[in-house]
Amino acid sequence: MNEHFDIYLVGVGGQGILTIADIITLAAVDKGIDVNFFPTKGMAQRGGFVKAQLRLGREPGSYSPSISPGGSDLIVSMELSETLKAVRYGKPGADYVILGQRWQPTAVMLGKAPYPDVDQVIGEIRGAGGVVHYLDPGNMPGEMRGNLYTLGAICAHSKLSEFFSKEDLEKIIADRWKAVAQSNIETFRAGYSAPTRTA
Amino acid sequence: MKKLLSGNEALAYGALRAGVKVVSGYPGTPSSEVIASLLEMDLPGTFVEWSTNEKVGFEVAAGASMTGHRALCTMKMSGLNVCYDSLIGVAYSGCPGGLVVFVADDPGVSAGMCEQDTRGFAVMSDMPMLEPCSLQEIYDMTIIAFDLAEKIGGPVFLRLVTNNSQSHGTIEIEEKIKPADSAPMPPYDPAKYTKAGAAICMQQHRDLIERLELSERYIEEHGLNKLALGKKGGLGIVSVGITNGYTSEALDRLAAAGIDISDISTLRLIATVPYAKKKIDSLLENCSKVLIVEELEGYIEKFCYMEAYKNKFDVRFFGKEDGTFSRIGQYDALLVENGIRSALDMPRTDISLAEPPERLCAARPIGFCAGCPHRGTYMGLEKGLNACGYKKTDVFITGDIGCTILGSCPPFDILWTELSMGASIPFAHGVAYSGIPSPVIATIGDSTFFHAGVPGLVNALQHDINMLVVILDNGWTAMTGMQINPGTHQEFQKTNWKQLDIESLVRGIGVKHMWTVDPYDANAMAQATEQALKTEGLKVILARRECAIQAARRKVKYPQITFSPDSCVGCKKCINVTGCPAIELSGKIIAIDGMQCNNCGLCTGVCPTKALRAAG
Repeated sequence: MNEHFDIYLVGVGGQGILTIADIITLAAVDKGIDVNFFPTKGMAQRGGFVKAQLRLGREPGSYSPSISPGGSDLIVSMELSETLKAVRYGKPGADYVILGQRWQPTAVMLGKAPYPDVDQVIGEIRGAGGVVHYLDPGNMPGEMRGNLYTLGAICAHSKLSEFFSKEDLEKIIADRWKAVAQSNIETFRAGYSAPTRTA
Repeated sequence: MKKLLSGNEALAYGALRAGVKVVSGYPGTPSSEVIASLLEMDLPGTFVEWSTNEKVGFEVAAGASMTGHRALCTMKMSGLNVCYDSLIGVAYSGCPGGLVVFVADDPGVSAGMCEQDTRGFAVMSDMPMLEPCSLQEIYDMTIIAFDLAEKIGGPVFLRLVTNNSQSHGTIEIEEKIKPADSAPMPPYDPAKYTKAGAAICMQQHRDLIERLELSERYIEEHGLNKLALGKKGGLGIVSVGITNGYTSEALDRLAAAGIDISDISTLRLIATVPYAKKKIDSLLENCSKVLIVEELEGYIEKFCYMEAYKNKFDVRFFGKEDGTFSRIGQYDALLVENGIRSALDMPRTDISLAEPPERLCAARPIGFCAGCPHRGTYMGLEKGLNACGYKKTDVFITGDIGCTILGSCPPFDILWTELSMGASIPFAHGVAYSGIPSPVIATIGDSTFFHAGVPGLVNALQHDINMLVVILDNGWTAMTGMQINPGTHQEFQKTNWKQLDIESLVRGIGVKHMWTVDPYDANAMAQATEQALKTEGLKVILARRECAIQAARRKVKYPQITFSPDSCVGCKKCINVTGCPAIELSGKIIAIDGMQCNNCGLCTGVCPTKALRAAG
């Protein structure tokens, strides 16, 4: 098992990508693992680019919040096109857990600007030596929250599971939103067992 | 006790532990969470406020410090430009109570504005500046900053960067200390607290330099800078603040790659100013090569060159001067690792990809939120210009800081400039003198108007400038994360605070031509614009409607917008004109995202077939 583990998360405002980082942070605190969670919202609002960097298991004070290019063990993306902004941060062999939702900018919607397709994105990741775990958003029940669904898939398909068990994360999710604990756990489990495309 | 906190929150808790009496400042990413978190707490004996601007905020804190209380002032780097006039005065006078000035820099520019290095202000004003790296260090150094300020009798800078101010992690904190409820009368001492006379001013200059020397000794005695000498004649690395972390990580990466790093000398500085002369000299004497790792400007590097020259040390430097590092952007461990590799004559670690993956990424321009009242203001403004026979590109319109500047983004593309807080009005005033063949218009948000817009308006009024000023009043300091300002509704002001009214202020100074409109009524905005442009002299339009996000939080409801798919002809005018993110294309026709739509109704005014309508 690695001593430390770095995660780079990308998406757009309104998807709840920061909540994934939040849950992992709380799980780390719960287990006494050193953690640094660095969200970058910039001027982001709903629909704007959002990223977060999580660094687990490092000695306090001996590192910085930013992950170097080529340094992440795990890339998480909830927006297909935005995935491309994370690729330069993945180590060769890094896991990429992607929920392929498309939040199309206006120019794309009007047919005035291009938007990458799934094969192009997967091609770029493989070019960087990454291992793809692509979740087709069409498989996700509409009422479910994409972020907890993605977190389930992260737990199933990445080495984050060497730090936290499925139960560790479920406990944090249940404590965080007590009133909707059951449905949130179901979403997490649906993501955990969701089919993934790897090539 | 251990607590999960952000860097800015750690700083706030450190100030509480130091017994801070007054905390003031102005919002600015990435500094805002210090005051935002303190305003949420019940703090008997401590006063916390968002001040009108950074200069005012600093003066409030400095006043409290003059009476012997501890005080903290917070801002982003741009704010320091605003408050510097008063800051330098207090730096020269000194102040008995611990006065700490927190500034957050933004290397890599995650939030807009000039990528300036606040350390330059510390050099310029001979003020010590502490630059913590880790979250725990932020808490600890905040407490030390108050102590240092009191020991030297002058203000101290505390500098964070986006990286650590916005990070979250667990921090060991202690109970807060309640400040005293009262203070004795401060001494009557014009020689210290005025600048009346050359003798007084030059004595203050002497005192200032002495305080910096005192702080150098304090830092030395408290062991804040860490020197670890390696092999004589080997490589030395100087790092400071946030780059201490990058450097540690870079050394770990080299060690993991099997490179022997035990010969390398390191000097980890907690501050650029005061320059750590003794330790820097020891390092330069010990090493034949020295790498200096500091983000943005090369202040320490230049000091090292000077010390090497003075002491005739034979050292080869690696830093910005020789092109190893850049003066631009945020650093990372890989960059520092490669800097060390260059200094050691080793091949660089190359992780570059054949082609940048981002080239395929869909461009994602920023724009107004669904329901933003500013959308209506700019739609109405353009319509009004058209009614006067102008295309929007024919008219010179200045923008200002905050959400209102999004009028420079598609589909509006209507603002020509963004300079600094409040500059839209005087900038337009200067253009109005020029004789360009176009009306001149300034646009400014409410908080920006209170911050530094009022003097510009007074100036334009006094000099009878023929221009239009549009104040977009959404009642909040919105872009920095929804802070209150003088115009925010009374409901959100603390018990004895008062809401001020921009309309009364503008009319009160004597503006004769003023229209107050609801920006959700784009036609009213257009009519006001048309009337204003046909009127000579200074005109003000106040476009007033609460920020949609804040209104939604207060459960404000507007009449439901209905969409009749059968009437939609797919002309996309609603998308092209409003740019509203709640309107999507669904096949040949549009669809409304009910999650985002707040029923502002602006789209109903542009739909040619009435497929979009306000109910009732």
